[in-house]
Amino acid sequence: MRPFEYIRPASVAEAVGVISERGEDAFVLGGGSAAVVMLRLGVVRPELVVDLGGIEEMRGLSRNGGLRIGALVSIRSLELDDGVRGAYPLLAEAASQVANVRVRNVATVGGAVAYGEPQTDTPTALTASGAVVRVAGVSGERSVPISEFYVGPYETVLEQGEIVSGIDVPEEPPHTGGCHVKFTVGSPENKPVANASALVTVDPPSGTCVSARVVMGAAGPVPVVANAAGALVGIEATPERIADVAAEAAEEADPMEDLRGPEWYKRRILRIVVERALTCALQRART
Amino acid sequence: MCAATGPNVTRLVGQSMPSLEAPDKAAGRIEYMADLTVPGMAHAKVVRSPLPHARIVSIDASEARAMPGVVCVLTRDEVHADPDMEEVYGFVYRDAPLVAMDKVRHQGDIVAVVVADDVDTAEAAAELVDVEYEELPAVMNVPQALAEGAVQVHEEFFPIAPELRPIEGTNVCHHATIGCGDVDQGFAEADFVYEDEFTAPPVQHCALDLHAVISQIEDGKITVWTNCQSPFPLGRELERIFKMPARVIIPYVGGGFGSKSRDRIECVITAAAKLAGRPVRYVLTQEETFMTFIRPAYRNRMRTGVKKDGTIVARHNEFWVDVGGYAISGARSANNTLKVATGPYRIPNARVDCYAVYTNKPPSSPYRGLPTTQHTMSYEAQFDRIARDLGIDRLEIRRRNLVRDGDIHVTGDYLRSAHSHECLEQAAEAIGWDEPLPVDPEGKKLRGRGVSCTIKYTLTPAREMSENSAEVALVEEGVFEVRIGTVNIGQGSDTVMAQIAGDALGVGLDAIRIVHSDTYRVPVDSSTTASRSTYHMGRAVVEATDNLKPQMLEAASQLLEREAASLVFTPDGIAQADGASEDDGAAVTYGELVERVGAPLAATGDCVVGGMYAGPDGRSYPIASTFWTFASCAAEVEVDTETGTVRVVKAAASATTGTAVNPHSIETQLEGGIGQEIGPTLFEQLVWDDGGQLINAALLDYPLPTMETMPDYAPRYVDHPFEGGPFGAKGMGEIGSVVLPGAVVNAVYDATGVLFHEVPLLPHKVIEGLEARAE
Repeated sequence: MRPFEYIRPASVAEAVGVISERGEDAFVLGGGSAAVVMLRLGVVRPELVVDLGGIEEMRGLSRNGGLRIGALVSIRSLELDDGVRGAYPLLAEAASQVANVRVRNVATVGGAVAYGEPQTDTPTALTASGAVVRVAGVSGERSVPISEFYVGPYETVLEQGEIVSGIDVPEEPPHTGGCHVKFTVGSPENKPVANASALVTVDPPSGTCVSARVVMGAAGPVPVVANAAGALVGIEATPERIADVAAEAAEEADPMEDLRGPEWYKRRILRIVVERALTCALQRART
Repeated sequence: MCAATGPNVTRLVGQSMPSLEAPDKAAGRIEYMADLTVPGMAHAKVVRSPLPHARIVSIDASEARAMPGVVCVLTRDEVHADPDMEEVYGFVYRDAPLVAMDKVRHQGDIVAVVVADDVDTAEAAAELVDVEYEELPAVMNVPQALAEGAVQVHEEFFPIAPELRPIEGTNVCHHATIGCGDVDQGFAEADFVYEDEFTAPPVQHCALDLHAVISQIEDGKITVWTNCQSPFPLGRELERIFKMPARVIIPYVGGGFGSKSRDRIECVITAAAKLAGRPVRYVLTQEETFMTFIRPAYRNRMRTGVKKDGTIVARHNEFWVDVGGYAISGARSANNTLKVATGPYRIPNARVDCYAVYTNKPPSSPYRGLPTTQHTMSYEAQFDRIARDLGIDRLEIRRRNLVRDGDIHVTGDYLRSAHSHECLEQAAEAIGWDEPLPVDPEGKKLRGRGVSCTIKYTLTPAREMSENSAEVALVEEGVFEVRIGTVNIGQGSDTVMAQIAGDALGVGLDAIRIVHSDTYRVPVDSSTTASRSTYHMGRAVVEATDNLKPQMLEAASQLLEREAASLVFTPDGIAQADGASEDDGAAVTYGELVERVGAPLAATGDCVVGGMYAGPDGRSYPIASTFWTFASCAAEVEVDTETGTVRVVKAAASATTGTAVNPHSIETQLEGGIGQEIGPTLFEQLVWDDGGQLINAALLDYPLPTMETMPDYAPRYVDHPFEGGPFGAKGMGEIGSVVLPGAVVNAVYDATGVLFHEVPLLPHKVIEGLEARAE
């Protein structure tokens, strides 16, 4: 690894100050699960590494009419936190499927969002949950809906000098069910061939869908929101209708051939994970 | 020949016990290569070729040399300038230059070595070495390498092992044939002839302990610390190249699986240490291991002639092994598996052609029995096709063809202690072969079972020789020091040798101390490969104890002033035998004996193998393998017809082990083999792009098996004593992995009706197979 200067600021203001001052020379380190690998492989060769790990204000999970996630909250905390598991089970479920426990212990939610890797689970679930990304810069904080946050693979709307300081997730309405399904080749710890998050709200007496959101991961350059899911609103979703929606959603995706499979296969898997996620989410919404 | 068996009493042999070093390993007290340091050492980084095949136009290392902290840069110029340094190494095939001379032959080929005060400086300086290449056409696989007019990877051939025979003017660095009977006649007599072609891509061993070396030259002597699997051949090669004595020291090794069986970094780092005038340390990165040694690409074209009842009457195998840019390891391992390519079956007319072919891939090495693994998958998959076609039960067709004791193998060897039938029945029974398969109510998941049988050789010299010695010494406090060249690579060799030595001496484990793999402290051993240590080193240990006993008796006789003939060995020492004289009770403990003698008592033992043996017909036959290991595996799979995922639900391997010295160790070796081979069977493979670039040489993109991919596993073994083995034992370290893929491929065939001719069984390929069948 190339030698670099290292600092560990104590506040968001200090961090964004130095990052914006040093510009391209600075590299941001969160939990390190991706950043350290990039440093070690020489993918990045920064002059300065800014370790965000000492910024207390970016820690902690709080619930107050919504979920406020500090950017430094680990994926493992999101998975295990009782409040998240009770009120935002979709997020906990998606978090529980990321890599392995060692990775989840160090990887942060903010890092997973800011990295912009299309083949991971947390952004898929956060997008389905309608999350808003808090972006901090020298001129203050701005909020960006996560569905507008991603520009392309490993590319976000973050500008020079900006960092993700936290993520806000709106409260789920009653009678809502969520489900995240990840599909891998080989060990479940591997990166997904595809994943899908479904979040469905039903009207209890009639059983019809009030809202249905489906987001697909590893399905294109950014998390792909499946418009097809809208067809379920106002109807009682039968297995046949769900299958139709899943088939349409897979067509909306834009997967690329890679080591995890050719394009046609990824579309096939997208259809399956969407179908399984929707079926499961509906069942959870109804009980 | 060395002593065949020890005393009749066994107290340690046959007991399940954890590895002696397990507590120290669990507590982190064991030192591996990554923990070792030598005072004053510098650090190396290697400049590697980005191209698979290119001529080197120029190398400019001046900027790197000028960097503060850089000690030296080794390139072809420095090697040329040193008259006391041979340029090319390889103790099986001498075709690897210390650093690239005229050209590079694979991506990652070693062009220069930068030595600096610390790793970071070496790494930064390595980037400053400016190499100009003239790209050459590359042959990236065997068909390209064998094509008319293909570029030659090597213009000349330098085989060292006498059995290796290149074909001049081609990329075939070795071609050999064996056979028996009359193959044409056999096919003419067959009722049916089946022809199939099977393939498997390269994978990497991914040992946890990265290959590393520290080399030091002091007072005209080389000392090398490395986690290599062949310390003695390496030491001899270092002595040949540098013309000075060499000592090789191996610490505990965290797995090798064949990737460390041959030298690829030790000689070149020693050259760097010589130039540096300081000890030099080098540790491969995980990414570099993918360009150092890999399991070769494999292809097998197999024709089999059978009678209507499923009896095999003829078989012709042609197999191609892609040895990559250097044949330092791959050519001989390909040749060795000629002996087992026809399988554990009675075949009266057989011919096998082996081709080891140079390409511009990284060099290949063995991989836990490879390519026996691929041979087994090939003939077992074809066998299930034949069984289904002829309407014969899959176990029954094997029963009709499996060898029995007394059969003559295709190599001419007289087979004994085969027990292949018992292995088959045990493995099938272990997974509940006859029980009904679970049925998925939705009909989306299909279950099936499959079985495979194999025969595996061990490394055996072409002529009679002793390359396996042990020394046993009675040292202070009455401890028996067992000095062996066997590398403790995690396979439990120290424990097995302590069990054997303990029983041979009639003492407990606490009286045994194992000293391993330091070429200046232990006698010669050829290598820790090919499942050979339990048998060969075990025999040498038994013989060493047999040679030590008369010395101890003689010493005790003098001390006790009693006739040696009246003395007996006890667990604590040597004593007067009961009723031998009036003053029974004269005794000396081992501790007192060594103390009163004033010097250790020591003896060596050799295990001579190879040469000829007398067959049952009284004629002489060459020994192709000192012993043969037989095994069967039965597996149950679940195939998800929606996603194409194959899950191995259950697997059971049964192997012939001779006497099971340490049943626990046998069970875990079989389990480890199955767990590891799940990867290459289902999802692991190295992938190159069209430009000859390896695109997944990093664990981020290279999926490995985990606990989540382990099947339910039932270990079995057949432990009839093997005559000639130490306490009747023989080797089995690789057999679990060898026998798995055939069983899985056949189980998928059973579940789906699709016979796959290549691994890994990637889900999208499974879907393609299912859809092709549906059409």
